[in-house]
Amino acid sequence: MSIEKGTLQIRNLSKSFTVDGNALQVLNNINLTFPAGSFISIVGSSGCGKTTLLRILLGLETNYEGDALLDGERIEGPGTNRGIVFQDHRLLPWLTVGENVAFGLDKQNRKAKKKIVDEHLKLVGLSGFESAYPAQLSGGMAQRVAIARALANKPEILLLDEPLGALDALTRMHMQKELERLWLLEKITMVMVTHDVDEAIYLSDIVVIMSSRPGIIKQIIKVPFPRPRDRASSEFSHIKAEILKEFHLGTEYPFAYAI
Amino acid sequence: MIKNSLKKLELKDKLLALIVPLLLLAAWQSAVSLELCSPLLLIPPLTLLDTLLYLADSGELTINIIASLNRVLVGFLIGGLSGFLLGLFMGLSPFLDRFAGPLIKASKQVPQFALMPLIILWFGVDELAKYVFIAIGAFYPMVFNTYQGVSTVSKRYRELARVFDYRGARFLTKVILPSAMPSIITGVRHSLGLSWMFVVGAEIFGADTGLGYMMAAARNMFQIDIVMAGLVVIGAIGFSINFILQVIEKRLLVWRFSSDQGASK
Repeated sequence: MSIEKGTLQIRNLSKSFTVDGNALQVLNNINLTFPAGSFISIVGSSGCGKTTLLRILLGLETNYEGDALLDGERIEGPGTNRGIVFQDHRLLPWLTVGENVAFGLDKQNRKAKKKIVDEHLKLVGLSGFESAYPAQLSGGMAQRVAIARALANKPEILLLDEPLGALDALTRMHMQKELERLWLLEKITMVMVTHDVDEAIYLSDIVVIMSSRPGIIKQIIKVPFPRPRDRASSEFSHIKAEILKEFHLGTEYPFAYAI
Repeated sequence: MIKNSLKKLELKDKLLALIVPLLLLAAWQSAVSLELCSPLLLIPPLTLLDTLLYLADSGELTINIIASLNRVLVGFLIGGLSGFLLGLFMGLSPFLDRFAGPLIKASKQVPQFALMPLIILWFGVDELAKYVFIAIGAFYPMVFNTYQGVSTVSKRYRELARVFDYRGARFLTKVILPSAMPSIITGVRHSLGLSWMFVVGAEIFGADTGLGYMMAAARNMFQIDIVMAGLVVIGAIGFSINFILQVIEKRLLVWRFSSDQGASK
């Protein structure tokens, strides 16, 4: 049986760090399977290890127990089949927007590079900005460039580490729509770490809820609604209540029962 | 609109900057005119201008300027380049930093002019001694600024480089050096500035060409006008070097100057 490109399997994954000589377990026995092409959000309070999990998938943390498999192969380091968008846009300030998008493209001739850069700037709606410098961009624009850079390598999965966390509320909602559009267009697996429950429900097929010390999977919730989703709908609120209950933030009388 | 008023402001600033020098010049001229001090010790501005024109006309000035600039170039290249390389390696390798860093920091505390007698004993009084002296002056700003720039490259950028598999020379030229560039350029400016000061020092100690020599020889002959002319020329060239480097800096660091917020991280 062949595995479809972009399938992530996580089996019995544990990770601990050594702090002042003591082992500190941050992830404990994580088991997850993400079908190719799905949008997954990982939510949890600070310190639940969700960022560590993402870093393992990215290949920046290589010393872990168990298996994190991409297309059936164990992840042992960074690779161009995975793209990343960090919370800070992390554009290199000395490169122009175009050069930043091309940063991950190596060993390609100028013309091919330019074509890819143009395509991806167009994709994120920033055509014509290729010679601007990051310092000239707004936060939302910079994050679009970061997304273009991550997609330029045609990754099988896109990892998003609180990608919209630094943006103001309205820009954030625009960018959520934008992410959804890109996901529908690129048809790749996207794994997003977020604090924002609304954002997770709006975007995801699957919401993974983690709890902390050590980080474990508390609940996996499927979001089966059609897209685009209505943030004000009752089904949306219902799922939100279900997720918040996991954080002990649910109301005594959930909205669904109140009407 | 805003640009225009900014320009006006800049012009105003520039005019303001001229007031104090003009006042000094006036005070200088009147001190001589009112015979408050001997014109032999304080040459009147107009006489000084005459001397400058005479020196320029006779070719003496050009020869000495070229001799000094030559020494600065050689000394700066030796000292600056070795400072750059050492700073770079210390910034890249914590081991080398612990190994060589303390010695370099400690040796900087020795006033470099105090080394002059030793340098003369070791290297003689000819060109080599002057190169060594200037190189020492050029070395310190370069090593410290390069080290500072390279060792403080953000961890976030290093991580990004790892994600995109930038290694070796590619990592160095595409991530480390551009990130350290502002600091390196500051190093070059200070380094070249000090080289220019050190060349005059070295030439006053003993030389047969150069601006420092010209001044030392003139002092012996009590030609105060030539001594002062030398000062003016040294100041003007030092100022020009700094100005040219500032222009180059703005060109190289266009990304820092391309935003209204100025230099952001």
